[in-house]
Amino acid sequence: MAAEGHGHSPIEQFEIRELVPINLFGIDASLTNSGAYMLIALGLIFSFLYFSTGGRSLVPTRLQSISEILYEFIASTVRENVGAKGMQFFPLVFSLFIFVLVLNLLGMIPIPGVTFTVTSHIAVTATLALLVISIVIIYGLYKHGIGFFGIFVPSGVPPALLPLLIPIEIISFISRPISLSVRLFANMLAGHIALKIFAGFIGLLLGGGIWALLAPLPLALTVALTALEVLVAVLQAYVFAVLTCIYLSDAVHGAH
Amino acid sequence: MSHAGKGSDKNNGKISHDARAEIKRRSAEIGRRLEAARPTAQEHSQSNGYGHSASHEAMGRALRLSTELIGGIVVGAALGWYLDHYLMPYLFGVKTWPLMFIIFFLLGSAAGMLNVVRSGMKMKTGPSAPARGRAVPDDHSDDN
Repeated sequence: MAAEGHGHSPIEQFEIRELVPINLFGIDASLTNSGAYMLIALGLIFSFLYFSTGGRSLVPTRLQSISEILYEFIASTVRENVGAKGMQFFPLVFSLFIFVLVLNLLGMIPIPGVTFTVTSHIAVTATLALLVISIVIIYGLYKHGIGFFGIFVPSGVPPALLPLLIPIEIISFISRPISLSVRLFANMLAGHIALKIFAGFIGLLLGGGIWALLAPLPLALTVALTALEVLVAVLQAYVFAVLTCIYLSDAVHGAH
Repeated sequence: MSHAGKGSDKNNGKISHDARAEIKRRSAEIGRRLEAARPTAQEHSQSNGYGHSASHEAMGRALRLSTELIGGIVVGAALGWYLDHYLMPYLFGVKTWPLMFIIFFLLGSAAGMLNVVRSGMKMKTGPSAPARGRAVPDDHSDDN
């Protein structure tokens, strides 16, 4: 795959490049392409929601109904998974969902040399997952006090088994932010690598004399993979939101 | 909305007076079955308006399973390795490698399977399962 200098390396797209060097008190806070993509996503989200809800007509326009559907979608997810009490977390879940969704989809727009998928970096997804799990722990402790740790004690088991089950529950809890972040990051990374590899095959085959006859095969596969990747992009954002809700439900309801 | 719609309406009415009664009966039947299917969903107000198609839900859940298992194993193994190499020698001055690693690897595998079973249970009972679990007070509760 490593055709150097031709831009064919499948992992070249994940390179972080410095755009504007900024040094804040000795900390490298430069604006990178990753940060720029996040700012673009924020701008898109803000302007879309601002303009689409600006009219607030009783019979919604097309744009307004898109944001209403988004709202209803996340609101029903929160209600189903956390309950009515969980609606105080709606802004958090909505922000996470729409941020991840827009970043995932922005990564699907191919611009040669520019396209960058922010969510394919574990630093980003792990930060989001740590934010979620910190909120779960802090809110759980605030709401239930020390009783929050009751979620580590499964109910209805013989006490003799507790020394075995409590470590298992604790490990299960710790694994949550890890599986949450790894899932999103791995899906985006693997999908974009696969896409790039199959797209690279087209060029290789076209340049290979008689093998050019086979070039339409990887082309068709790339088209199909692109559709699949769009699905994965939406689905992973949704999974992230649902899991956030499920974890928050522990904090809201505590040990049963 | 205007003439075309009215015309076709009239046509429908003319052709199928019985069919319309039949449709009404069937829609009432579907409504009754929906009511029976999710009696607890009502307390969550008018939630199910948009979005959730069944396959969408199922695929989202299916994608979760693999990382659930791996997450548990990785966390268990890392915890055991850390205990062996840093915490135990630091606290008690004993070298326990590979004892803690093995124990916590097994515990982590158990935790991973627990994760999978939990999300699998939810997959089996459908999306409104957590709500139903909460609605029944004396149910044995897996913490969602």
